[in-house]
Order: sequence, then structure tokens, then C-alpha cells
Amino acid sequence: MWSAWSAALLCWLALIAAPVEAFPVNGNQTVLPVGTELNEDALDRPREVFRSEALGGRKSYLVNLGDVAFSSPAILGGTARQAGISCSTCHVNGASNPKFYLPGLSTRPGNLITTGGLFNFRANNHLLDPVTIPSLRGARYLAPYGHDGRMASLRDFVRNVIVNEFAGPEPSPAVLDAMVVYLEDIDFLPNPRLAPGGRLRPQASIPEQRGEALFAKPFPHDPSLSCAGCHVPSGAFIDHRQHDVGSGGLYKTPTLLNADFNAPYFHDGRYETYAQVVAHFDRTFDIGLSVRDQDDLVAYLTAIGDGQQPYERDGVIPRLKEIMDFASVLGAAIPARDTEIIDLVANTVGGELRELTENFPTRKDTNVSGGSEERNLARALLKDLVLCLRRIDLAATAGRFDDAATEYANFRKLTISSVPVALQNAEPWSLFNPAIHDAHFAALRQMTEAANSAGH
Amino acid sequence: MKHIDTPAWAPTAVPLPHCGAAGRPAARGSPTRLFPGLALACVTLATVTVQAGSLDAAAERYRPLMAEEIDRSLTGARALRDALLANDLEGAQQAWIAARVGWERAEVFTSGFTELDAEIDAWPNAVTGFHAIEAKLFGARRMDVQPETDALIFHLTDLRVKIRDTRLTAQGLLNGAAKLAYEVGESKADGGESRFSGTSLDDMRNNVDGVEAVFRIVFAAEIEGRDPKLADALRTKIDQLQTLLRVPALGRLDSNKLRAESEELIVAFQTAAPLIGLDRLSLKDLVQR
Repeated sequence: MWSAWSAALLCWLALIAAPVEAFPVNGNQTVLPVGTELNEDALDRPREVFRSEALGGRKSYLVNLGDVAFSSPAILGGTARQAGISCSTCHVNGASNPKFYLPGLSTRPGNLITTGGLFNFRANNHLLDPVTIPSLRGARYLAPYGHDGRMASLRDFVRNVIVNEFAGPEPSPAVLDAMVVYLEDIDFLPNPRLAPGGRLRPQASIPEQRGEALFAKPFPHDPSLSCAGCHVPSGAFIDHRQHDVGSGGLYKTPTLLNADFNAPYFHDGRYETYAQVVAHFDRTFDIGLSVRDQDDLVAYLTAIGDGQQPYERDGVIPRLKEIMDFASVLGAAIPARDTEIIDLVANTVGGELRELTENFPTRKDTNVSGGSEERNLARALLKDLVLCLRRIDLAATAGRFDDAATEYANFRKLTISSVPVALQNAEPWSLFNPAIHDAHFAALRQMTEAANSAGH
Repeated sequence: MKHIDTPAWAPTAVPLPHCGAAGRPAARGSPTRLFPGLALACVTLATVTVQAGSLDAAAERYRPLMAEEIDRSLTGARALRDALLANDLEGAQQAWIAARVGWERAEVFTSGFTELDAEIDAWPNAVTGFHAIEAKLFGARRMDVQPETDALIFHLTDLRVKIRDTRLTAQGLLNGAAKLAYEVGESKADGGESRFSGTSLDDMRNNVDGVEAVFRIVFAAEIEGRDPKLADALRTKIDQLQTLLRVPALGRLDSNKLRAESEELIVAFQTAAPLIGLDRLSLKDLVQR
């Protein structure tokens, strides 16, 4: 017990001292333990590539609905819902969240005990067995699911996370199906360094090419084994099977595609770097790799684990695009008189809009001196949108679907006209501006430090 | 599908800003001379104009309460200074909490004094105001907050003087009530504004009490006369917010329900505004001179 909480405290203090972008939960009235780091304030967010869009199409209604559900705390239950945590809190834009840290349930940033008592006391097995938050890129290819590959079906896995790990209510079949469709539409980031068959392109460096050869080379003491035997290059670098690689049990082969952005590594996140991973395999299987061999393998892993534009800067445009994509579900749900979906979308998008509003500081935030009118207008318009969604929800609940449709038309009109203009006008004085962002969180840190400072 | 009766006060589609002229409040009626119902329109226009005027008179009834709340806050701040001088940490903390009560209740109107608001209730800056004092007094249990407390007393006194002559309007108070109700629905998952004293829940309760007071003193009778069911619905919504906030700790709050209720209250206010001759609600920050 001591070690977990002490580690949490040390980590928290380290975060306060370091010039980091994110800010941990603090105070004595929080739903989550003090020191919880959700990394929600990061300015650079993982880029999400949708297969439907990458192929020249558009995201379907089901993809958008699934994305809404994935971003909705209401899908989860108990503590998670109270804390405003949704699936996307951990899987940011379908990727992982290496800074996520929850004192008592994480042993290091990026991992979490999913069967701890905080989220569902019924699932608590009293084991200190955290697992990393996996990236969901390419999930459609990566069955079976779970670090130990215990579930063949993505649908079953998602339901289990919602109902058993996070004590959420039983999701409706329509919502569950949509979540699966959404997850299956999240694609890998393209990696131009890879050719068909998962081979490196000829332009690869010499160390990368040597690494590729080593990757395929049988292990000296067991020629039936090789890296490529499990991480099959032509098959997304997986074999859909579980293996004991000396990490404490049977765990499924993880994909190496886009893995540069998936640290920490191994099921529990014990390794920070590829070099540590390669050293582990060298030790465990007595491969006898030289220093150069190990460097070559790291160069190869880095090449095949790459991806184009892994992060994108958060800002008004990407936020509004997401909000409009989410809200587009209403365009079908209102005529279909689907009150369950209307309620889910109205509440989730309303929550997203409230979060977006907080990026435009009020006049009480004296760190920000300019753009007072612009910020004021941006906040007011976003609040108008929130209330518009509430009226849609109220109208639909009362069976007045024509009124709901009229409100939705108003919502659409605003989100494509005055709102983007007002928000972009205010953006230079928003938390999307790195200087304002840093000043805001420096003030929060200062307040926290004042609260933690010793008395005279 | 479950059938839900539409309440009489249920809002119809409300126009949003910049969406065109449709649905503008009657008091802002456009030229009517071409219409057969001219006489009726003129009577309606005159009626709501009178309403708005009488509501402004009703708004004056709020002034004594507002002054009382600022006085209460000022009394708390002075007690805080006395406790500091007496080296009484527990007393200082209690006085700080007492000072917050009046401040949070009066926020329906006082948030419009933007410069003073930034001095008194700055956040997250830990340099001045309530939260600068709070961080040291509660978080670090330090008593070296005399200069900040003196400044707080100075600014509250300044505010007390200013509210004596500030013009009160029904529109401004309804906007302020809606804005405060909206803030109550904001997420407090990170501990809220008063996280070090653990009194964010009290802030919210006092905010809702402030909204209730404005509604009861200024608007209830007028809305009752126009649409009794809407008046009842507003009372019920406020009551539901107060009930939701009767939890022992912030972590026990049903924040999703609270958010929905707070937004439904504002929607009901939006429905009420044109009925009593006011413009559509604005959630922009008020600016008082």
C-alpha cells in the first residue's frame, strides 16, 4: 500500500516540478484520487485516421454514433461517470494515453488495473495487475482482444469493459454495434517506410536492413522461434496467438505497426523503450545479440513502428469538426424518433461543448489580458449551443420531433456560420494558444504550490 | 415508445442569435401596419413594454437582498482579519467560509462588476482574492494572508458602495440568474473552484439559493400571472437543483443529472422571458459600470 501511494505522490510532485503541459487532479473533494493524471490538457493529440475517410468515403452514421458513445461518460457507470471519464479519456482519439495515471490503480503512467475497486467494486480481485492502455488503431485486424487475448469478439470485449470493468449499464444492441463499427474504422497511421508484405522499402538504412534480417533469423537455441515467427510482417506483425515470453504469463502478440507511439511496452508497461524490449528478449531467449545487433533491431522496430503525422495540434477547427460529426447523428435520429440516441448525442455533445467553452478563459482568469470581448462572445455562443441541444432533447422526450428538427436546423446553422468565426476570433486568447495555455496551468501549479507550502 | 405529456410550459424551438428574425420576442415587433391585427399587436406591444417597466421596478426589490449578501460577505472577511490577528486558524477558516456564502449568493448580479470580480474571485491565479487566501489558509494551513485579506475587504467595500447606485434591470437579473444556473451545471470532477477548502459544493448551493431569490423576488409573480404552470415548473426546477445538491460530499453528486436540470431551468427561463416582455436570454458576461 505504502509503495503505491508513495509512488503516486512522488509522481505528482515530479509533475508539478517539471514543465509539463498536463495537470493532475488535486484538492480534497475530487471524485478521483488526488494526483490522478488524465492528460486531458495536452495540446498535441494523437491523430485519428478513419478507414472510411482514408479510402475516399465518409464516416457512416454508425461510426459517428459509436464515436459519440465512446466519448460519453454516461456509457460507463459509477465513479467513471461521476468523474466525466469516457472510453476516449484513456484511448485518446483511438490511440493510447501514456500519461494516464491513477494513484492506487496505476504502477506507472500509461497503465491501469482494470479490475480494481474504484470503478466497480464487484470486479475487484485485489491484485496489483495493471495493464497498459492499448492503442486501438487497426483494431479490426487485431483479434483476439485483451492483453491476454481472452476474447475472440470485439463486441464481447467492449461490452465487458463497459459493464464489468466500469460498472456501466447494459448498452443497447444498437449502441454496442455502433461502438464496434467505430473501432473497426480506426485505421493505422500510414507508414511510407513499409512496402507490401510488411517489408522495409529499399531506401531503408543499413542498420534498419540488418535489423530486418535479424528479425527473421531463427533463435540460436530454438530455431523454431524468431521475432518474425510471431510478429508476422505480412500480417500486421501479429499471429493472433498468445505466447509466454517471460513476462509473467501468456499474452497475445501485439502489433508493431505504429508502435513507436504506443510506449510503454509489454502488457504491464514495464519497458519504456525498444532497447529495453530487445534486451529482454535477448536475455529471455539467450539469443546472443551484440550491441550492434540490438541497435539494428531497435532501428528496424523504429522504422516499422513509424506513422505519418502521429499528432495534431488541438484547436478550434478539429474540435468543431468532431462536434459537428457527433451532432450529425441527430440528423438521422430525430426523423427516426429515436429518443435514446437523441438523448445520448445531446448530452455527449453538450458535454464536449462545455469542455470546449473552458478553453476560453473568463475574465476571472487574470493571466489573459486581451480578447476579452472575443472570449466572452465565444463562450456565450457555445453556451447557446449547449442549450440548443438541451431543447432538442426536451422536445424529443416530449414527442415534439418537429420542434427538435427545427432546433437541430438552428444548431447546424450556427455551427457552420457564426460559431466558427467567433471561436477562431477568440482562439489567440484561448488555451489553444501555447503561451496562454502555459500561463493558465502555471497559475494552477502556483495555487497548488501555495496550498502545499509549509507554514511559517 | 414511452409517451410523455408535453407540459404547458414546454419550450418551442427558440431562435438562436444570428439565425434570422423568426421568433423574436413580441416587444421587438417589426412594422405591423400592413397586418389586419394591427390594433391587437399594438396593445400587446404596449402591454409588454409596461411589463418590462414594472419588472424593472420589481428588480429594485432585489437590491436590499443583494446589499445584505455583500454585507454578509464583508462581515465574514472582517471576521477573517480578526481571526488572523488572533492567530486563530480554525476561526479564520470558518470566517472565510462565511464570507463566501454572501458572495456566491450575490453572484447573480455581482459578476457583472468585472474588474472587482477579478480582484475578489480571481481563478486560477493565486495572487489575490478569495482563492489566494483559500490556498494558503486551507491547503497549507498558513496564516500569512493578512495583505490578501485587507485587499479583499477593500474590494468588497468598494463593491458595497457601487451596488448602492447601480441600475438594476429585470433583463440583467434574468440573464445573471441563467448564467449562474449554467455554471452550477459545470463539471466539478476536478474538485471545483473552492477545491482546497472543500467548499465547492457550498458554492453551488449558494449559487442556486441566489437564483431562487432572484426568481422569487423579481419574476415569480409576473410569470405566475402569465403562465402559472410555467411558474410552477420553474419553482420545481430550482427545487430539484437544491435537492440534488443536498449530498454529503462533492463526490456523491449526480453531476449529469445536475447539468441536465440546470440547463432545463435555463430553457424554462428562456420560455418565460418573452412572456414577461424581456428579450431572449444572453449568457454573455455582464458588464456593470
